[in-house]
Amino acid sequence: MTISGVISTGWKSTDGKRPPAFLVASAAAVALAALIPVVYLLVRSVSAGSDWVDIIWRANTAAVFGRTFLLIALVTIISVSVAVPVAWLTVKSNIPLRKVLSVASVLPLVMPSFVMATTVIEMYSPKGVLQGWLSVFGVERLPDIYGLGGATLVLVLMTYPYVLLTVRGALRRMDPALEEAARAMGYGPVHTFRAVTLPMLRPAIAGGSLLVALYTLSDFGGVALLRYQTFTSTIMIQYQSSIDRTLAAVLSLVLVVIAVLLLLGEGFTRGRGAYHRSTVGAVRVSRRFDLGRWRWVGAAGVGVPVMIGLIIPVGVLVHWLVRGLLNDQELLPLLIPARNSLYISLLAALATVLAALPVAILAVRFQSRLSRFFERSIYIGFGLPGVVVALSLVFFGINVARPLYQSIWLLIFAYAVLFLPASVGALRSSLLQVSPRVEEAAQSLGRSQWRVIFSVTVPLVMPGAFAGGAMVFLLTMKELPATLILSPIGYRTLSASIWSAASEAFFAKTAAAALLLVLVAGVPTAYLTLRGHGDKADASDRSNEIGEPTR
Amino acid sequence: MRMPWQRKPSDLKIPPSSAAGAAAAAIAIPAPAAGETGVIHLQGVECRYPGSDSPAISDFNLLIRPGEFVSILGRSGAGKTTALRVVAGFEQVSSGYVRVGGQLVGSSFVHIPPDQRRIGLVFQDYALFPHLTVAKNVEFGLKDLPADERSVRIAPVLEMVGMSGYESRYVHELSGGQQQRVAIARALAPDPVALLLDEPFSNLDRQLRAALRRDIKEIVRKTGATTLLVTHDREEALATSDRIAVMGQNYIEQIGTPEEVYQNPVSADVAKLIGPCELIPGVFRGGVVMTEAGVFPTRVTADNSNSDGQQVLALMRASELEIEVAGEDEQRTGTVELREFEGEFSEYSIRLDSGTLLRVRRRAANGIKVGNRVKISSRDESKVIVFPV
Repeated sequence: MTISGVISTGWKSTDGKRPPAFLVASAAAVALAALIPVVYLLVRSVSAGSDWVDIIWRANTAAVFGRTFLLIALVTIISVSVAVPVAWLTVKSNIPLRKVLSVASVLPLVMPSFVMATTVIEMYSPKGVLQGWLSVFGVERLPDIYGLGGATLVLVLMTYPYVLLTVRGALRRMDPALEEAARAMGYGPVHTFRAVTLPMLRPAIAGGSLLVALYTLSDFGGVALLRYQTFTSTIMIQYQSSIDRTLAAVLSLVLVVIAVLLLLGEGFTRGRGAYHRSTVGAVRVSRRFDLGRWRWVGAAGVGVPVMIGLIIPVGVLVHWLVRGLLNDQELLPLLIPARNSLYISLLAALATVLAALPVAILAVRFQSRLSRFFERSIYIGFGLPGVVVALSLVFFGINVARPLYQSIWLLIFAYAVLFLPASVGALRSSLLQVSPRVEEAAQSLGRSQWRVIFSVTVPLVMPGAFAGGAMVFLLTMKELPATLILSPIGYRTLSASIWSAASEAFFAKTAAAALLLVLVAGVPTAYLTLRGHGDKADASDRSNEIGEPTR
Repeated sequence: MRMPWQRKPSDLKIPPSSAAGAAAAAIAIPAPAAGETGVIHLQGVECRYPGSDSPAISDFNLLIRPGEFVSILGRSGAGKTTALRVVAGFEQVSSGYVRVGGQLVGSSFVHIPPDQRRIGLVFQDYALFPHLTVAKNVEFGLKDLPADERSVRIAPVLEMVGMSGYESRYVHELSGGQQQRVAIARALAPDPVALLLDEPFSNLDRQLRAALRRDIKEIVRKTGATTLLVTHDREEALATSDRIAVMGQNYIEQIGTPEEVYQNPVSADVAKLIGPCELIPGVFRGGVVMTEAGVFPTRVTADNSNSDGQQVLALMRASELEIEVAGEDEQRTGTVELREFEGEFSEYSIRLDSGTLLRVRRRAANGIKVGNRVKISSRDESKVIVFPV
């Protein structure tokens, strides 16, 4: 025995499970780093003194509040009503093209909101494409797309996949015996769905709704293009238009409060019932419900959101691109932004997964008050919109970490803070599937705790690491506000290129960059969804026990 | 049979530490009794889980000699797995001393981590590494050897457990029994000081269990490994062990050879754990016990000094009882309720007038039928064990 053996374990009571010091140290570092933005916002707001009440009123906050909540409520309700039937049809029924539709119905997730918004404007604005088609029937002018209606449409199309993924995961893992028991007790199919299936899905629906609500709260690009002012766009305007950034900081803090309230609200809806299976043993694969002739109607039903959320937007982009090419429009030199996006997203994914690893291991294997605190601090990023994190990191960069300011490392740091919950969630569910006995076996074969982590634990959680990494990659590709605020001057990514091209109405450029982004981001998403029992569906579902990021 | 690479337990690689030495000197650890060279030695061990009021094991004493096969038999929750995990090093002890291979590895002030104890462990769910092949699983514990020596060792170990030819399979491609064998090969490959088996047969079906039990016993005998088995299955413990340690709640109630423990259980609790039986109340008087089933001669076990008139529990085992059809006027009888024919023997369930059910196992003959009133006696005048109430 070594002296350190005595020191590290000898002088304490029988609480046998002491985590290795290096694990605690790295998890602590990650947790502290994740807390920087909030701490900085607090400091900044406190230094504003008692003016902050005044500041909030001056910004006409009440009206913005009202508009924001109205949008959140509408988007959440509509998303749930779209996603639950789609989930049931693609998991539990025998609709034709089930597999294709399963993947396609998730893919609107990869469309950045500002891209979706530009295509929606093109299609449905008063003088848009749809009006052109409808003019045959004498329709002269469609109702205005700008404002609440358009913003709701865009956000529903982008966010219903969050509910779809969580509900689908829950449907897959639900013990079919529960529904069979209900049927055996004389409940018809509809009654069974209402009395058993729907209540069992409640936590998944609540979790997915939370993701939708937080996304809606934090979205900037979509609402800005559709000219609907929300809290986030107010902050962005404040940030860009005034030199004094105290107002932006104070408003950001209010945004954090709203996000935390949403988080708490979701916990409240969960109730006290148990939703996991009460028995052990393998889950049988449930039999698909035979819809008979109605299955074609079902497929068409799933096809509607796929059409509006994926095929039409991509079609519009392709149309613009072709039209631009035919008119010899100059395309942005897209190669550099594409390379930048790829590079920075891969770095962000790698950094985030590496940072998540010690936190996840500590939280799952060495449960204690400390490890819970670390995990909770990570989930702060989940409640923080990109604007807020980016702003606080600007303050932080200028005042504390000057060398990092205007470098891509601060940008990657922002992405990591924002998206850590995604990777912690995925790693966590992967870790839960690894029996601690396997790690003990490795230790009894002569490997130290440290080496066990690298030779057994890490290889076994690789699927989770990949799923989490792919999610971070996708989210980073799409992220706009943090990218706009924190990118070093002259460093353009795909999303920033699309944004500037779209703002200046260069349609061909917008289309080319957007198609590239959708392609690059879509591949890992499709892959993860295709893996059937998809870690992604599972990970997002399980991780929303505490939450999954939204941007 | 000692494998060519196997070392003697005394080769245990625990570096003598000045810190431990100093601590030992200061606190004066009691040395093991002279002549006792246990491979595993627990003295007065107590282990508590955080947040639990009562210790999982307490005043736990066990000495396992080289080459011995010892079972810990107990009900679930008795603390038997805790005892095993204390030996392996996954739990720290709050008092007492744990020695492995003569070295102090656990006490209130010393805790050698599991990876430095050189103990082979077979888990209830095997805990094989799902990301590695069979060969890589077995190789896992051989990391200190040069690569060419490792492969030389894997082959004979896999052959010993009958798993040659499965080297490149993955764990999920094996049956439960095969996984079990690989788990044993993996545990034995690094030549551990002792082999610990935690309910290794509980995940297997009954027939496979018996076959595998014999195989493992044979493997262990061949390698001469010192073995500690934890189980709640008395057949398993009786069939495999040189000695059985029967656990009450959190301590060892009795330890001895299977025969000793079976024939002379020290308590009603041990008797119930070690074999199927009924305990019926009675009164001890003048060398006999009077019960509602009859009057039986008694035997004095280790520590029951019974005095006349004392209330006792009499141990009734199916194989030690005899029945015959009772006469009209005879007292102390029961009624045959069920007869289960098993070929050579029949097992009779006898309902006593108080409602207690006794089982009697006897050769099939002599025409006793369901519904008969029968008289019960001890077979061949064998003496019945009684425990004070």
